[in-house]
Amino acid sequence: MANDHSADIVVVGTGVVGCLIAQQAVDAGLSVLMLEAGPRVDRWRIVENFRNLPPSLRLFHWNAPYPPKPWAPHLETRTASEQEQYLQLEGPNARAYLQGYVRYAGGATWHWAGICWRLTPEDMRLRSLYGVGRDWPFGHEIIEPYYTRAEYAIGVSGPSDPMLQWPTNGKRSKPYPMGPIPFGPGEHRFTEAAAKLGMINLPAPQARNSGVSYDGRPACCGNNNCFPVCPIAAKYDAATALPKIEAKGGKILANAVVYRIETDEKNSIQAVHFFDPDKRSHRVTGRLFVIACNGIETPKLLLLSKDERNPNGVANSSDQVGRNMMDQPKLTAELELQEPLWTGVGPVQSSSILNTTQGDFRGRHAGAMFRMENFARSPLGAAAALKKGLVGKALDAEIRRLSACTARLTVEHEILPSANNRLTLSSQKDWLGINKPNIHYDVGDYVRRSAEEYTVPRLRRLAAELGATKFQLSPEFLNSDHIMGGCIMGTEPATVVVDTDCRAHDHPNLFLPGGGAMPSATASNSTLTMTALALKAADAIVNQLKHG
Amino acid sequence: MSDSYPDDCPTAFSLTRRRDVLVGGLLFGAIAALPTLPAVAAPALWSDEAAARFMEISSLLVPHRLKAEIGSRMGAAMMALNPALLQQIDGLLSIARAKNARVVEDFFADVPDGPLKDTALAIISAWYLGVVTGAPDAEVFAYEYALMYGPTRDVMTIPSYAISGPNRWTADAPPLSNMPEF
Repeated sequence: MANDHSADIVVVGTGVVGCLIAQQAVDAGLSVLMLEAGPRVDRWRIVENFRNLPPSLRLFHWNAPYPPKPWAPHLETRTASEQEQYLQLEGPNARAYLQGYVRYAGGATWHWAGICWRLTPEDMRLRSLYGVGRDWPFGHEIIEPYYTRAEYAIGVSGPSDPMLQWPTNGKRSKPYPMGPIPFGPGEHRFTEAAAKLGMINLPAPQARNSGVSYDGRPACCGNNNCFPVCPIAAKYDAATALPKIEAKGGKILANAVVYRIETDEKNSIQAVHFFDPDKRSHRVTGRLFVIACNGIETPKLLLLSKDERNPNGVANSSDQVGRNMMDQPKLTAELELQEPLWTGVGPVQSSSILNTTQGDFRGRHAGAMFRMENFARSPLGAAAALKKGLVGKALDAEIRRLSACTARLTVEHEILPSANNRLTLSSQKDWLGINKPNIHYDVGDYVRRSAEEYTVPRLRRLAAELGATKFQLSPEFLNSDHIMGGCIMGTEPATVVVDTDCRAHDHPNLFLPGGGAMPSATASNSTLTMTALALKAADAIVNQLKHG
Repeated sequence: MSDSYPDDCPTAFSLTRRRDVLVGGLLFGAIAALPTLPAVAAPALWSDEAAARFMEISSLLVPHRLKAEIGSRMGAAMMALNPALLQQIDGLLSIARAKNARVVEDFFADVPDGPLKDTALAIISAWYLGVVTGAPDAEVFAYEYALMYGPTRDVMTIPSYAISGPNRWTADAPPLSNMPEF
């Protein structure tokens, strides 16, 4: 049994990656202690908090229903000054790294979209095929079984027709555990319009229960609130895994802010140290340690933990910790249309165009994923119609028109790993006196060329095909909240941080699984790949402790 | 699934803090919207009679079913922002009565630009948005009853509520001209 101070496996972070590893470890009979910096909050409170937000904050401020504890700050965006408090961002595209993860038990899966794309074989061989970026240290055939396990672990619904699956050229060892979620009118019409341009809008595989309950969670009822919170837990989030881990003897300690990783003479990890809310320090020992606090908090913690043996920080003999920070730089277009599109039926995201992510053009510029946002636009329509000073029937008609006949299209670009996109420790300190993360971010010419030559022209054609009468492009690149890089994977310890199982090259009993390990980003959502890497790491962890 | 752990949600969830930030938001909103008002307005008295007048003008300005309990709370909040609210309501009611108005279209064109029209639009806005200011911490008086969801209620989901059931929604949508009743 784990206690507050020791366990076979100490997992820092309670998001999807940490929870899947913890579940596999407790199933294997190992003791597990999970440490979470933030609080543990009931779903109903978050739902009520969302409903009590003013309408101007209910869209695009996904962290707003999750006020942080003082000791576990995360991004807040209710005001411009609040937005600058925690993440310290610099560089030409600082705005594009405004990552909205949640430091709550359950992590950022509280408000993820639930979209579960796999990488293609080509996504993992950028250097070999296109002469850019980095190759993965293994091929698609190695990760495929983990993708399948991940789809069953978190409950992914998706189409059974291979023509509607992604990737089109990758082996799939099992079908999705559930069938696809139906389209609403907006997605149906968007799919038809895109098809005329050769852009194939696929039903998204998504960790939402489709038509049936799965793993103790109910079927999706189309509450159209996947972010910022699914009110009924039809969408997988790691908060739903926590009671299952506890039921099997795992222990979860919330409000425990890990601030240092301690090494021993052999440079193995010996302990982690955390602050409680009274700023008292505690030491936790274990046989093996998993740091899974996302692509920002994990490298931050490694850099905070420098010691005599590791002067650049733990796991950082390569000097690559905190480098290669990635996300999908995003552009959005706000459209007004002649005819109704009708978003807001079904999940907030349920489809995407991915054939635009692939091609020989990747030698010159980024591929990109296009999609239509499917959230209900009535609050936006109402606010715009009220601003016009309309009343009575004219007001209602304009609200209906502006809600139905407007849309937001989104394009997310593949970024290349760059050592200059770097997380370092800011001189600014948080409430506990811990350095805040500082990130320098430049999306690079690869992305800028894509926007100029490829994606924005396509966005305009898509808009025209939908009958747009207005087209307003976002003035700069935005974040997609898919944090990748920072602890990238490879076989050469001098150039990367972790090995093919997400084990730190420098420390045999330290694992850094998740998006941070990904050496390429592709243009699609990263969570399923993070989850697959978590399961691959879990196999290695259990094997190492049982047989190592 | 039972929650067997101690829930320790941050204090920002509590009403105590919401009230604190609300005062700041209200004052900011008042100053922004009505620059001629003194920075700190005296607390206004709200009564059943005031609530009834607020509902009377609301029912003339907004052609939909309105909940009196929501109106009473919103009216009190608006009066805290605008001490002249009741006089302005009386002014609006006078114009409406002079026109024998039953719906807003009957008299709105006669409302002069300035405080009377601003107040009329503010009352309409409050019923549609469920808030009386645009402040980031504005108190929410109505969520699912906010009228902004009414004109699309036949198709669009009220976020976090469900229109149908598991996989029961379709790609069908009615014409734009089919305005639902609400």
